[in-house]
Amino acid sequence: MTAAPPPSTGRELSNPPTDGISNLRFSNHSDHLLVSSWDKSVRLYDASANALRGEFMHGGAVLDCCFHDDSSGFSASADHTVRRLVFNYNREDILGRHDAPVRCIEYSYATGQVITGSWDKTLKCWDPRGASAQERSLVGTYAQPERVYSMSLVGNRLVVATAGRHVNVYDLRNMSQPEQRRESSLKYQTRCVRCYPNGTGYALSSVEGRVAMEFFDLSEAGQSKKYAFKCHRKSEAGRDIVYPVNAIAFHPIYGTFATGGCDGYVNVWDGNNKKRLYQYAKYPTSVAALSFSRDGRLLAVASSYTYEEEINRKHEPDAIFVRSVNEVEVKPKPKMLPNPAT
Amino acid sequence: MSTAQSNLLSQMETTCGSLLHELQIIWDEVGESDVEKDRMLLELEQECLEVYRRKVDQANRCRAQLRQAIADAEAELAAICSAMGERPVHIRQSDQSTGSLKAELRAILPQIEEMRKRKSDRKNQFIEVKKEIESIKNEIYSPGGYALNDKAVDENDLSLRYLEELNRELQALQKEKCERLQQVMEHLNYLCSCCSVLGLDFEQTASEIHPSLGESEGSKNISNDTIEKLRTAIQKLREVKMQRMQQVKAEVSRLEELKASKMKELVLKKKAELEDICRKTHLIPESNSSIDIAINAVESGAVDASCVLEQIELQISRVKEEALSRKDILEKVEKWMAACDEESWLEEYNRDNNRYNAGRGAHLTLKRAEKARALVNKLPGMVRLLSMLEDYIVLRQEKELERKRQRDQKKLQGQLLTEQEALYGSKPSPMKNQSAKKGPRLSCGGAGASNRRLSLGGSMLQTPKPDMHPPAKATPNTRNAKKSERLNQDSLRDDGFAGLSSGRRGLDLAGLPAQQHSLNLQFAREIESPMMRKPFSPISSTDSSRSNVTNILDDLNKKHNEMLQKTTLTSNNSTPFTTPSKMISMTDVENRTPQATPFPVPSSTPSTVSIPMQMALTPAPKQTATTVPMQLALTTVPMHMAIVPAQNAAKSVDEEIEYSFEERRAGFVVPRSRLVNAMQV
Repeated sequence: MTAAPPPSTGRELSNPPTDGISNLRFSNHSDHLLVSSWDKSVRLYDASANALRGEFMHGGAVLDCCFHDDSSGFSASADHTVRRLVFNYNREDILGRHDAPVRCIEYSYATGQVITGSWDKTLKCWDPRGASAQERSLVGTYAQPERVYSMSLVGNRLVVATAGRHVNVYDLRNMSQPEQRRESSLKYQTRCVRCYPNGTGYALSSVEGRVAMEFFDLSEAGQSKKYAFKCHRKSEAGRDIVYPVNAIAFHPIYGTFATGGCDGYVNVWDGNNKKRLYQYAKYPTSVAALSFSRDGRLLAVASSYTYEEEINRKHEPDAIFVRSVNEVEVKPKPKMLPNPAT
Repeated sequence: MSTAQSNLLSQMETTCGSLLHELQIIWDEVGESDVEKDRMLLELEQECLEVYRRKVDQANRCRAQLRQAIADAEAELAAICSAMGERPVHIRQSDQSTGSLKAELRAILPQIEEMRKRKSDRKNQFIEVKKEIESIKNEIYSPGGYALNDKAVDENDLSLRYLEELNRELQALQKEKCERLQQVMEHLNYLCSCCSVLGLDFEQTASEIHPSLGESEGSKNISNDTIEKLRTAIQKLREVKMQRMQQVKAEVSRLEELKASKMKELVLKKKAELEDICRKTHLIPESNSSIDIAINAVESGAVDASCVLEQIELQISRVKEEALSRKDILEKVEKWMAACDEESWLEEYNRDNNRYNAGRGAHLTLKRAEKARALVNKLPGMVRLLSMLEDYIVLRQEKELERKRQRDQKKLQGQLLTEQEALYGSKPSPMKNQSAKKGPRLSCGGAGASNRRLSLGGSMLQTPKPDMHPPAKATPNTRNAKKSERLNQDSLRDDGFAGLSSGRRGLDLAGLPAQQHSLNLQFAREIESPMMRKPFSPISSTDSSRSNVTNILDDLNKKHNEMLQKTTLTSNNSTPFTTPSKMISMTDVENRTPQATPFPVPSSTPSTVSIPMQMALTPAPKQTATTVPMQLALTTVPMHMAIVPAQNAAKSVDEEIEYSFEERRAGFVVPRSRLVNAMQV
């Protein structure tokens, strides 16, 4: 990068993964960024310093990763393994396995458990505090109607989106059966779910350039607030080209959220006022993942072709951009501020 | 007698009397005789009677005339009325006692005047109508050719009824004229369109039929003749149109036939090309029955040549790929064969006791001997190489069978999964664009499969020892350490072979020359180059394949261990070699492999994880000049033509199952067994 002010896409991190980026996450404690990739690696970056702090190789593509605390994290791999990664000692061990590639992983601070979703149509909960022997760390296995595509946690609630547009909402304190069994409001395949920071609902995006805003309250009053909107579309010759919306990330302070799509754009939305607040400059290729830092001042964008054309075509190199976030881009308009985030 | 008349008579009598008296006087004076007197008186009387008689006759005649006039008038009136079919305005009443004849005549005259007038009017009407009828008839039937006989109006029938009849006739004629005109206009319009389609001049064509038709304004001739001519003209033009259309069709079908035959030619040419390539690179194509059937179908015209062409092209490109990947192997085999020849020559040369005698070509032979010796030293490495090849190819074949089995399973899974999908009501992804590339990915030659195994195996070697290569914590670098690090970086990509290579490096150190080492590495890198193109490869998840491969692994492990022993033995026996400075130092090897054996993992590999494929574990054959048969080294690479239809079938079933981008990228397929379980749940 040059010494000039950072380009409109943000500062590009050095030593990016050598293949597609499946997810990236900022830590809750610092500006460390954990990145999982199809090159079978999990990388730990110091985003502010633009330095690679650690790297872990897996047996297969890594499809998701998350932090535990600032010194350790977890990864979900296509080699069916769930691993714990210890950054300082560059050590990893296998927490457990699924019967198929593991697609999603979350760590619940409320229960102290790791939750994974896999294409073997199950959720598994793991206790990472016990011994590393895999048999003892598995807390439970919960069958899903279909292969798990996306997951999100807030407080004690877990939202699981699967193939076939199913959505299961769980209370982590009672996983024996879902609190709610729902179906996506959108007609097309689910790409991503993210819970609102205030815990009242979740946003769900599909491959058809649409996002649905849903609420956990099943009463009529609660459900009357739900809506869906179109986004990440391009109008050409009177027709819409729709792009999958791959990523959703909520701003930790303002409760507004950013979406990233295969059109290479990141949009920031005010869900309460149903407005778009900002659109960032176009990224070189599809936006595969998004993450806000803990203070909401940084936004990490994974610009990485997501195989939406189902072939390995020539594409821009995979890159991670970290940009500063200005208030004007993410703050809702003065007349209506959402409830403070929990 | 009225008083006037009596007065007159009395006056007359007085006058006559006086006259007579006077006459008497006269006579007396004269002295006329009585006879004379009587005679004169008689004369007088007769003359008087004469006058009376004349007056009376006159009056009589007058009266008669009057009567006649009245009668005439009445007759005329009657005639007019009957002609017009009307009753007179004033009907004469026979008992009418109007009195005198003169009064009667006075009464009847106006009547007759009026009737005469009305008759005249009526007549005029008739004349009008008849004139019009005549004119239309002229137009319709033939210009001026129709002789109107009844032009003259029949005076006898001027009735309204007849007039109405004529009016109706006129209307009918007008209607017919109108219809004919319409017909003519229709014909003209059609003619106009025909002319424009055929490129003729409409005005001229129309004028030829009748001059009036060619003009844009003015009345058109509507006679039968004209209409008939119009019809004929239109018919003729229609025929011309049909003819021309048929000509065009014939041309199109001729061109299509030409295209089909060219395509056929192309297909045959491509097939010949394919066979040629196969022949040149010693690839024996698997049963080409499917493609032969396809070609036959093309020849018989049943099948579209273009898709068969596509398939042949695909096959050709695959064969070329295959040939490329084998090029090096082929070259090495050639080198090996040459080396064997040289070896046998060398043996003979060594046996020749005169070899050091200076002769004509002595220096040449000496050089040749030197080269031959060097080559011979390379032989064991080459032989090992070739036996590696053997195993490699055998394993490849087995993988092929594996994959075929898997594909069949997939097909069934797919069918079951569609049913399940119906239950859950998911819809296909809008950006669905199933390309044929999925096929090649799955079964792109044995090279792909074997490399997959290599990569996964390598990772097993790598991950338990991450402290081998933390990039950020590199040890202070000597040139060798740098090289090892670089090699490790490479091994991040070709995990299996790095593991293999490090193992082999251990073997090399046991006493084999460095050239072999580089040869092996080179070979390793070349074999894994196809894998470089695919950053990620699918994992077999079926139990059956796993157990199969486990068995193979055990076999290979045993063989490898045997080889280790043998190489240490041979190293002791062979002539000492200098270790070139290029070689990696012992210490580095020890750092990299903290455990005792260079191949530590196989014993601890859990059987459930994907298993590495190792190569070159057959014991090295003795150094005799054995010729490895060409066919063995290059055992048939299965041509995937036969597989393509099956793939397509499997793929089409898979297409009905919804997949996310990540699943497709990972090559993940919903397994059938899991599906069955899910359905049982």
